[in-house]
Amino acid sequence: MKRLSIPAVIVLILALVVAIGSQTFLGACVHEDGSFGPCHWAARALLGEGCLAAALALLALFVEQARLGLYLASALNAVLGLLTPGTLIAICGMDTMRCRMVMKPAMTVLWVLMLAAAAAGCAMEYRRAKRG
Amino acid sequence: MKLSQLPLKNLTRRPGRTAALMLLTAFLALSVFGGSVVVDALRGGLASLEARLGADIIVMPAEAESKVSFKNLLLQGTAGAYYLDASALERVREVEGVGQAAPQTFLASLKADCCAVKVQIIGIDPATDFTVKPWIEQSYRRELQDMDVVVGCRVNADVGEDLRIYDLNTHVVARLAETGTGFDTAVYCNMATMNTLLKAAEDKGVTHRITSDGEEVVSAIYVKVAEGYDVGKVCNALNGHVRKATAVKAKSMLTGVADSLTGVSRTVALLIGAVWALAIVILLIAYAMMINERRREFAVLRLLGASRWRLGGLMLKEAALTSLGGGVLGVALAALLVFPFTTLIESSLGLPYLAPAPGRVLLLALATILATLLIGALASAWAAYRLSRSDPGNALREGA
Amino acid sequence: MWGFVMILRAENLSKRYMRKSGQGNNFYAVKGADLTLESGTVTVVTGRSGSGKTTLLHLLAGLLTPTEGKVWLDDSDLYALDDAQLSRLRNARIGVIPQGRSCVDTLTVLENALLPGTMYGGQADPDAALVWLAALGIESLAAARPAELSGGELRRVAIARALHQNPDVLLADEPTGDLDDENTQRVLRLFRDQAKAHHKIVLLVSHDAEAAAYADRIYRMDGGILKSD
Repeated sequence: MKRLSIPAVIVLILALVVAIGSQTFLGACVHEDGSFGPCHWAARALLGEGCLAAALALLALFVEQARLGLYLASALNAVLGLLTPGTLIAICGMDTMRCRMVMKPAMTVLWVLMLAAAAAGCAMEYRRAKRG
Repeated sequence: MKLSQLPLKNLTRRPGRTAALMLLTAFLALSVFGGSVVVDALRGGLASLEARLGADIIVMPAEAESKVSFKNLLLQGTAGAYYLDASALERVREVEGVGQAAPQTFLASLKADCCAVKVQIIGIDPATDFTVKPWIEQSYRRELQDMDVVVGCRVNADVGEDLRIYDLNTHVVARLAETGTGFDTAVYCNMATMNTLLKAAEDKGVTHRITSDGEEVVSAIYVKVAEGYDVGKVCNALNGHVRKATAVKAKSMLTGVADSLTGVSRTVALLIGAVWALAIVILLIAYAMMINERRREFAVLRLLGASRWRLGGLMLKEAALTSLGGGVLGVALAALLVFPFTTLIESSLGLPYLAPAPGRVLLLALATILATLLIGALASAWAAYRLSRSDPGNALREGA
Repeated sequence: MWGFVMILRAENLSKRYMRKSGQGNNFYAVKGADLTLESGTVTVVTGRSGSGKTTLLHLLAGLLTPTEGKVWLDDSDLYALDDAQLSRLRNARIGVIPQGRSCVDTLTVLENALLPGTMYGGQADPDAALVWLAALGIESLAAARPAELSGGELRRVAIARALHQNPDVLLADEPTGDLDDENTQRVLRLFRDQAKAHHKIVLLVSHDAEAAAYADRIYRMDGGILKSD
C-alpha cells in the first residue's frame, strides 16, 4: 500500500481546475468576429501548464521515490503559471475585460494555492527523507 | 526539554487536531477580514463619488432617461450619447441662483487597440469647469492642449503614449488617481479636442446626432448654486427655463447609490455578524470538546505538580498559537480572494468600490487576527476555568 | 544513618460522594481513615476493587479535597495550602504513579520522564532519566511515543518518571498491574530500595500478593474503612 500524499491530491485538483477552467468557465473571451485576442494564447499556455501540473501530481502520487523532486518541479511550474497571464503573455488592456477581471485573478488564486501545497509537500518529503 | 515547549509539541505532534481548529479559526478570520475590506471599499467608493461630483445640480438632455443612464456613467462608465445644444449653457446661466455652470460632453469610443473595449470620452471646458479640473490638477498642473488627453486609472495607456481614438492620435499627458467609479475608465480632453473627435465619430457614422453647423454640443451641465439660494428652487427654475433638458439634484442622484450601498453594507455586516456568532459558538464547543477529551492529560500535568495557573497558561499558549496560525491563514486566504478579484466584485455589485489603502488593509488584518486571538483565548480560558473547578483526582479516575 | 524521619499523616480522613441516582443519596468512599507513614518503610494497602484504595491514595497525594479530616506532610497541612503552594509541594516532594495511562501523548517516553523536572523551570537531566528507564528495562523506548507502547511499558514509564522526580513520598496505585512476573519483581525491588537505601516514604496500593512480601506494614481497605492487617 502506497503512502498517500495529501499535497499531491490538492495539486492534482487545482491543476485540473486550471487546465479545464482556462478553456471554459475561467477562460478568455472570444471576440464577436471570432478572432482571438492575446488572452486566448495566455489561456492556451495555462492549459499546457495545468496539464503539466496534473501530470507531476499524478507521478507524485504513484512514484514515491521521486516525490521530493516532483514537488519541487510543481512549485516551479506554479511560479511559471503565476507569471503567464499578464507578465509572460500579454492579456487585454482594460480592467473590465473578462480575462483581466476573471481569468487572471482566478489563475493567481489557483497557482498560489498550488505553490503553497507543493511547498508543503516539499517540506513533508524533505523532513521524511532527513529522518531516514 | 522545557515546559514552555509543551504547547508547540502538542500542536505539531497532533497535526489533525491542530489543523481542524486552525481551519475553523481561519474560516472566521477569512469572512471577517474579507467582509470588512469589501464594506470599507464600498464606503470609500461613495465618499470619492461624492467628492468627484462636487455639483449641486446636473442638467442633462431630457431623453437621457436621466437618472438611469447617468448612474450608469457614474458606476460603470457607460452612457448614451445624447446631446444638448450649446445654447442650453447660456439658458442655464440666465437662471437666478446659478453660481457656476460647467458643460461636459460625452462620447463613447470605438474599440481601443487591444480588446473590444469602449472608453468614455469626456470633454470639459477648462475655463469654467469645477468638477473634474481639481481632480485632474492633482496629477497634471498644466493647461490641456488640443489633442491632449488625461486618462482614468483603469484605461490602459501610459503617460507619453499616443491613444488612438477614431483613427486620431491623442496624446496621453496624465493619469488620474483611482476613484472606484465609472470615471476610472474615462478619458478627459478639452472641448476643442472633443469637437474634433465628435467630427471623426460622425464621419464613421457612430454618433446618433450630428453636430449642426459646427455648433458645439454638450451632454451635461454641472451647476453649483450661488450662496444663499435653495438648491431645490434653483432646480425647479432650471427645469422651467431650459428646454429639452432635465435638471436633477446631485444629492437625489446619489441617494439611490447611497441607499443600495447602505443595503449592501448592512447585508455584509449582518453576514459577518452571523459568521462571528456561529464561529464563536463553534469554537467554544470545539475547545470545550477538545479539552474535555484531554481532561486526563491535564490531570496528569496537575499530578506532576502543575498549578492551575501554570496549566491554564499552557492551555492559553496552545490556543493562542492555534488562533494566531488560523487567523493569519484566514487573512491570507481572504486577501488572495478579495484583492485579485477587485474588478469582478466591483462590477457584480454595481457600486462604487475603492479598495482601501495598504495601511488601512494592514490595520484591518491586524484587527482581525487580534479578534481571533481573543476568541481563542476566551474559549480556552473558559474551558480551563471549568476544568479547574474539579479536583484532578476526579479526572484521573475517569477512563483510566 | 538518617538523622530525621519524614512523616505523611492522615487524620480522620473521609471522602463522601453524592450519588446521581438511587436511594442512599451519598456514600463514603473513604471513611475516618487514620494513617501514619514514615520514611524508610514500605506500606502496602490491599483490598477489593471499589473498596476506596485509589480514593485514599489521591487524598494522600493532595489531588482530591477530603470531605473531612486532614493530611500532613511533616509540618504542612496539604489542604490548608493554596493551589500554587500545594502544586509546588507535590512537584518537589510527592511522586504519584496513578492507575491507567498517565503519559502525555505528544511527548516521547524520555520527555515524559523529564516533565516533572521542567515544571518550575528546572534543568532537564536526560542522562539521569535514562538511568531510570534502563533500570526498568525500557531505555530502548526513550524516543518512542506513548501510543506505540504496551500497557506494561506505559506503567514502567510512569514509574521511571516518579523515580526521576526524586520525591520524598512515592504513592503508587497498582504499580505492578500490567507487569509480568520478572518486571513485577524488578519494580517491587526498586520501591523497597527507595525506602531502605534512600529513606523515602513508600505507599503501594495493590491487590497483588507479591507486593505484600515487600511490605513493612500492610493495611486493608474494606468498604471505605481502613484496617491494619
